[in-house]
Amino acid sequence: MILVAIILIGISVFAHTLIRDEERFRTQDILKKGNYLVSLIALHPIEYFYGEKNNLFLKTLAEQVSSEGLVYCFIHDRTGEPLVSFVNHNVASKIPPEVLMRSLYVEGLTQQTFRLTGSNTTINEFAKPVYQNGEKSGIVRLGFNIAPVSFFSSKRLRLLAMMAFFILATILLLHHGITLAIRPLNEVNANFKRIYMDSSSVSTGLRKDAAIADVIADLEQSLVQLKQKHEKIEAENTNLTTKCGVISFEKTNILNILDSMNYGIIVTDIQDNINYINAYMLNILNKTREEIVDRPLNESFDHNEINSFILNQDGVTQNNGPSSIDIEFPDLAPNETFMASVSFLRDREESVIGKVICVKNVTKEKSTERQKHEFIASITHELLTPLTTIKSYNEMLLDNELENIELQKEFYNTISEETNRLTSLVKNLLSISKIEMGNLTIEKGLIKGDWLFNDCMAAVEGTALKKNISIERELPDNFPSLVGDKELLKAAIINILGNAVKYTPENGHIKFMLTEQDDFIIFEVTDDGCGIAKADLPHIFDKFYRSTDPRVTEQTGSGLGLALTSEIVRLHGGEIEVNSKPDEGSHFMIRLPKEEYYLGKQ
Amino acid sequence: MENNKQVLVIDDEAHIRRVIELKLKKRGYQVTLAKNGEEGLKLIQTLQPDVVITDIMMPKMDGKTLCERTNELKKIRPFLTIVVTARISPTERDWIEQLQDTVFIEKPFSLQTILKCVDQYCGNQAQ
Repeated sequence: MILVAIILIGISVFAHTLIRDEERFRTQDILKKGNYLVSLIALHPIEYFYGEKNNLFLKTLAEQVSSEGLVYCFIHDRTGEPLVSFVNHNVASKIPPEVLMRSLYVEGLTQQTFRLTGSNTTINEFAKPVYQNGEKSGIVRLGFNIAPVSFFSSKRLRLLAMMAFFILATILLLHHGITLAIRPLNEVNANFKRIYMDSSSVSTGLRKDAAIADVIADLEQSLVQLKQKHEKIEAENTNLTTKCGVISFEKTNILNILDSMNYGIIVTDIQDNINYINAYMLNILNKTREEIVDRPLNESFDHNEINSFILNQDGVTQNNGPSSIDIEFPDLAPNETFMASVSFLRDREESVIGKVICVKNVTKEKSTERQKHEFIASITHELLTPLTTIKSYNEMLLDNELENIELQKEFYNTISEETNRLTSLVKNLLSISKIEMGNLTIEKGLIKGDWLFNDCMAAVEGTALKKNISIERELPDNFPSLVGDKELLKAAIINILGNAVKYTPENGHIKFMLTEQDDFIIFEVTDDGCGIAKADLPHIFDKFYRSTDPRVTEQTGSGLGLALTSEIVRLHGGEIEVNSKPDEGSHFMIRLPKEEYYLGKQ
Repeated sequence: MENNKQVLVIDDEAHIRRVIELKLKKRGYQVTLAKNGEEGLKLIQTLQPDVVITDIMMPKMDGKTLCERTNELKKIRPFLTIVVTARISPTERDWIEQLQDTVFIEKPFSLQTILKCVDQYCGNQAQ
């Protein structure tokens, strides 16, 4: 009886120690897990927890870890308003109300325990504030349930059975030992027969040793199984941690992408409160995220035009005004034009849950549009001016208003000149548009350098004579040839020579040179005219560019000549260079490959 | 055909100035020429012309600025402004209509149309 009692006490003490051990192990495990998870979640900025989509991440997280004892996850903003709350439905009603508020005042990572009402379950709560720019912007709270270790779990019963078996074996062994110990006493009183008996009991002892070995083997096998299970759980734990890490990395990545975009992005909820704003938009508004997020749209934007535009879009009636508008922020971004457009954020059921406002800088596009408009205006003017002259001069001749023969001759000449001007303008326009579209055909032929030189001279001589400008010519003794489109090259050089005549004041001086250098033929035009301002120099070969210098604007011009020239030279494998000093004059140089060099290259 | 009506022609294109000048002089008008808006404005103040014929796109001071500046002068001493312009948009048409004694003629114009305008205005004035 005593023996049985001792055995029972022994078993219960041992079992108790085992349960305590397991409980301690679980507590430590949950402590580790809780601290890790709460810290991981608190790393995210608070705005991440607004809105349905982000909650999905937490939902997944909660589902993944609920088997690990997570019973609830609360995320509050700084005012205590819950943003996220997932509670295991078994414990939802049992959380004491004071606990719901208690953790709102923690400063760092805290861990506390409480009991659920009407239950023995202890909940371990882990809480950590979410900091943003050094300020507490919310709280993350996770509750873990340490399930009581049941005495009669199947695992434990097996263990107990094993233990009982072990103890029983020990008793048998002890019994055998005692028998052995008292053998000398027995020997004194016993005869040889007894000794015989003892020898047979030794053999029984040997059989008993074999039984113990079996028990040990069985125990060892269980231990191996336990170890394997533990390893499996650990592997799952690592896997989960990795998954969490990947999700967090992806989220950070998406936020980084949004912040590095060259568009302003604002996301609002259905009540037109701002949920998200990216770095680009914050930069335009010159505000911090805290000043914008969670506020009504019309409070954050001091811009009536954009507010009424966005608020008028309801996503139900799609044809509610324009889908985009041009806006300006004169104080924040002077001289910049932005285009704001609205699209709608929908959930899985396709119902609108918010708006996405995209703000794009369209200053460049607007300026191109304006440039085109100005170009068309200036081209119209350029085309109509010679036409007006031709029409009115012709009218005078037809109406016989000019009795004087000399005057009539002058009128016919002017009509002819203006017709040429119109022709060259139209040709220039055509060439530039062909170059733009990439289908200018170059009719290559052999060109004698001096022909080209003389043709160009002839084209400007008349105008130069009128302004009493002297053109000094310099030609080499033997004339090199080149391969190219004569008409195009002529147009290119005349543009430069013509500009020299145009921008050189009366009685000025121009030098027109044709030289050779290695494999190149060089046309140079030097004048002592008004020169080119430093600010204009990088742009003179741009299409439609015209200086604002009054000495330039008082001359007619389309801003096409030099653009065309540089394109033609480039198409011929040549180069164009310019040096100029304001008020001193300009020097243009066109280098074109010589015939031999050109053919060698083919 | 000699009359004492003064016409000021403002255009940056010499040929156009010349042909209008010839046509009007033949009808006996006194014609003065200016190369740009700035020159034109000075001449309007000193010469006090009866008719001003001006281009829109001109260096230094364009025709628009000139019209805006002279609109006030017209209240003291009225004169006709003929705006010769390449293109006319609805906003420009509205702008011209709100100016006093201002008409526009599109380019390329007929000299006859200009002469008719000038004759009409000066004849009405004489009556």
